[in-house]
Amino acid sequence: MHRSIQKKSRNFEGLSNKFIISLSIIALISFLLAFFYIPIVRIFQTALSSDSGSGFKVFWETLSDPFNLKFLGFTLLQAFLSTVLCLLIGLPIGYFFAKYEFKGRKLIVNLLTIPFVLPPVIVLIGFTVTYGQGGWVNLLWQNITNSSNVLITIDGTVQGIILAHVFYNLSVIIRLTIPAWQNIDNEQIEVSSTLGVGKGKTFQKIVFPQVKNAIISSSLLVFIYTFNSFAIVMKLGNFNFYTLEVLIYESFDLLKFSEGASLAVIQLVINSLVIILYLVVERKSRKMAEGKEKGLKTERLSFRGKDWKSIVSLSLSIFFVFIVILFSFAPIIAIIVKSFIPKSPGDSPFWGYSQIFTQQKITPLNTNTIRLFGNTLLFATVAAVISLILSVLIVFVLRNRYQSIKKYQRSASESLVSYLIILPMATSSITLGLGLYLSYSGLSSYYNSVWIFIIMSHVLISIPFVTRSILVAYNRIDVELLNVASSLGASRVMVFRKIEFPLIKRGIIVGGIFSFAISLGEFGATFLLARANYETLSIGIYNLLGSQTLQISTAMASVLILITALCFYLINKFGDIELKV
Amino acid sequence: MVKVKINNLSMKYEKKLIIDDFELEIIDGELLVLLGASGCGKTSLLKIIAGIIEPEEGTIIFDEKDITNYTPQKRKVGYVPQAQVLFPHMKVEQNISFGLEAHKLSKDEIKERITWIAEITQIQDLLDRFPSEISGGQKQRVALARALAIKPNLLLLDEPLSSIDASGRESLALTIRRIQKETGITTLYVTHNQEESRLISDRVALMYDGKIQQIGSVIEVDRTPRNYLIAKIMGSSNVWPVEYLETENGNSLVSTPIGLITLPYEIKRKITGIRIPPSSFKIVYEPSEEDKVIEFIGRIKSIIEKDDENFRIVVDLKDAHLEYFKVDCNKEMLNIGSAANKELQLHVLPSEVILI
Repeated sequence: MHRSIQKKSRNFEGLSNKFIISLSIIALISFLLAFFYIPIVRIFQTALSSDSGSGFKVFWETLSDPFNLKFLGFTLLQAFLSTVLCLLIGLPIGYFFAKYEFKGRKLIVNLLTIPFVLPPVIVLIGFTVTYGQGGWVNLLWQNITNSSNVLITIDGTVQGIILAHVFYNLSVIIRLTIPAWQNIDNEQIEVSSTLGVGKGKTFQKIVFPQVKNAIISSSLLVFIYTFNSFAIVMKLGNFNFYTLEVLIYESFDLLKFSEGASLAVIQLVINSLVIILYLVVERKSRKMAEGKEKGLKTERLSFRGKDWKSIVSLSLSIFFVFIVILFSFAPIIAIIVKSFIPKSPGDSPFWGYSQIFTQQKITPLNTNTIRLFGNTLLFATVAAVISLILSVLIVFVLRNRYQSIKKYQRSASESLVSYLIILPMATSSITLGLGLYLSYSGLSSYYNSVWIFIIMSHVLISIPFVTRSILVAYNRIDVELLNVASSLGASRVMVFRKIEFPLIKRGIIVGGIFSFAISLGEFGATFLLARANYETLSIGIYNLLGSQTLQISTAMASVLILITALCFYLINKFGDIELKV
Repeated sequence: MVKVKINNLSMKYEKKLIIDDFELEIIDGELLVLLGASGCGKTSLLKIIAGIIEPEEGTIIFDEKDITNYTPQKRKVGYVPQAQVLFPHMKVEQNISFGLEAHKLSKDEIKERITWIAEITQIQDLLDRFPSEISGGQKQRVALARALAIKPNLLLLDEPLSSIDASGRESLALTIRRIQKETGITTLYVTHNQEESRLISDRVALMYDGKIQQIGSVIEVDRTPRNYLIAKIMGSSNVWPVEYLETENGNSLVSTPIGLITLPYEIKRKITGIRIPPSSFKIVYEPSEEDKVIEFIGRIKSIIEKDDENFRIVVDLKDAHLEYFKVDCNKEMLNIGSAANKELQLHVLPSEVILI
């Protein structure tokens, strides 16, 4: 009698855990189905079956079109070049910050990361103000050379695109390689030198093999980010250059849905391959870092007691770092300064700001700026909340150790979810927007409910980052803590409330703010989906880029920079930003 | 405070049976040390008893109650894992009250319990600190207090001394012994270190191949190890495995790594090893013609002074590479002036050779 009651109680604990997990899986799968997998299937449908009937016809035509092929090549090439340039600049900088210890080191590394979280339109407007035709660099050059020749042209040139990509992604290389350098046990290097191996050979045989995977995985990330670049190429490409992402948008804009969908399929395949490769390498590099206690010996940044050769090389390094900091900050500072420079002498320096906080509509915007601000903040808040809920669910399904410790194996549901979330990582924002449009624009309420799809696209784009933030925190929890807690009598709910939640709280805060920041600046999907009243600040700024005065757009951009910087400050206060997906 | 009985328990890990038809009885109130090599399934066994892992087969009985299907929550087992996992975000006091809250004790009861267990485990001064602010030994005492506070039926300790530095081990071991006797909680203590079992156990159970191979007091096991391996695990000196055994004309020829040994009687049972206690050797300085003795020649490797009169010497055996004896002797026998590398002749009476 007693035994049967107890058996029930065991089942109850197991059931309550199973119930929570099943509910999570159902919620996750319904979300992914509705806002991701149905749109993706719709894209494949549109690509592979056209009105004329014959299945692969449009797909093959799109694929073999010389124009498309040329720009598929260009997309790959510019991504490759951007990645190589990021590596050339980022690797020495990463090594510098891993090796030298000095006051403000962490602050500088954090500041160098700001470009990564900036909305793409900010990069665009910053580049226009800094390097554009009438930008400060060119003005300065013209003053120095006393000519009307420009130093750099970013409009419609490859160099503009690549420069912007390097600006954007440099921090990925820097931040992700610093821990790899730091992880190298200095004693290994010492042992190597006592074995009579020279410095170069030690680097080649001991140091490099240990940082290799971190370098490859960060490069693959930069490649993915630049391969899917949209806003920058759309604007700076100036109809001379297109990435696949821009081509997909152009097809959509011309209502050539089958062609756009076909291109999206190609892009999705390439992205998936790179992401899978990335996941494999990332896993390897994580294994490499496991279980290491000692790290690289750091050196105080000082000239004292050094020979002239070291002094020169150190000075050059510092100069190089300084240039990169300048490069990473010039556009941001330029925007803020520009926002206070009056259109004509005598005007108020605050004119731009006064304009954006009035109810009146500024041409050529589709709606007033207050509405833009409202939309942006509202979308970002809702997207952050939904992303957090879904990410916590994902982490719980993926790391349901509470259950798996009893079985010593990964459950099928866990594997299912872990595969289901890879594809969203490999999907670009334009593809996402296109899929949502193709699936739901037929609904009669679509145009009034488009904000739902905008928010959901933001959720899908930020989920990999949010999940990552929480996962990092969750992985630090010792499974024995949960064992001890349950043997002390704590129920599943109590274990979550008292142990798991407090220990991942910071990860949740970081993830939430990060999601907010991503939504704040998201461009591609919003640009494709948004209609008049549902536009965001990013879209507004983009629409103003061509106008005569930049004072209004730089003022809007400055506010956006301020909010983004605040988010970034908070993220750093509570934890660390996750650049990885 | 229960009597524990484990019946034909089995568990697989990666398709291999690591616990195989396992039987064990723990007497009410005793401290039983489970001794076995790393990876022999000791930790898994603890987790099964705690209810964290489900066994393939078998039953666990507390007193007369079958608790095999109980949840960890319902078993009321104090589980102290190997690494001292304290809840890092809670102060010591909160760590201890965690289990009491889970058992829905009132505030006053919780306070009372904490005072009681803090005194027994001597952690009164630590209650207000975070786990990151206390030492390894202190953490272990807190982990112990946390497990004991719920007044568990059974206390499970997984290598509690493994992460404590050498100087603190003995005192912590004795503290554990004292606390266990004061609270009278039936305790299963898992370790791979036989020294610990000598220090604190009421009984010791030796485990390998997924089963308990011998159980008894340390003295019993030392005196009559069931086989060579057990003698080895118990850390006995001068034990060797038997490679083969032949009997002829009332004599037995025993082949061992230290050579072929002739014993003047017939061995009728299966033996797995021999042992020669260190005190059974006699150092001989003049060649003797006595033919009943077993003779070894070796070189002194090191001399350890036990006190003014008595020494233990380690002797390298001349004819058997890598084998050595430990020999107890006094000043006179050692012949002052003996030093490392000196050649020695050792005699042992056949009657002194213990068969395992």
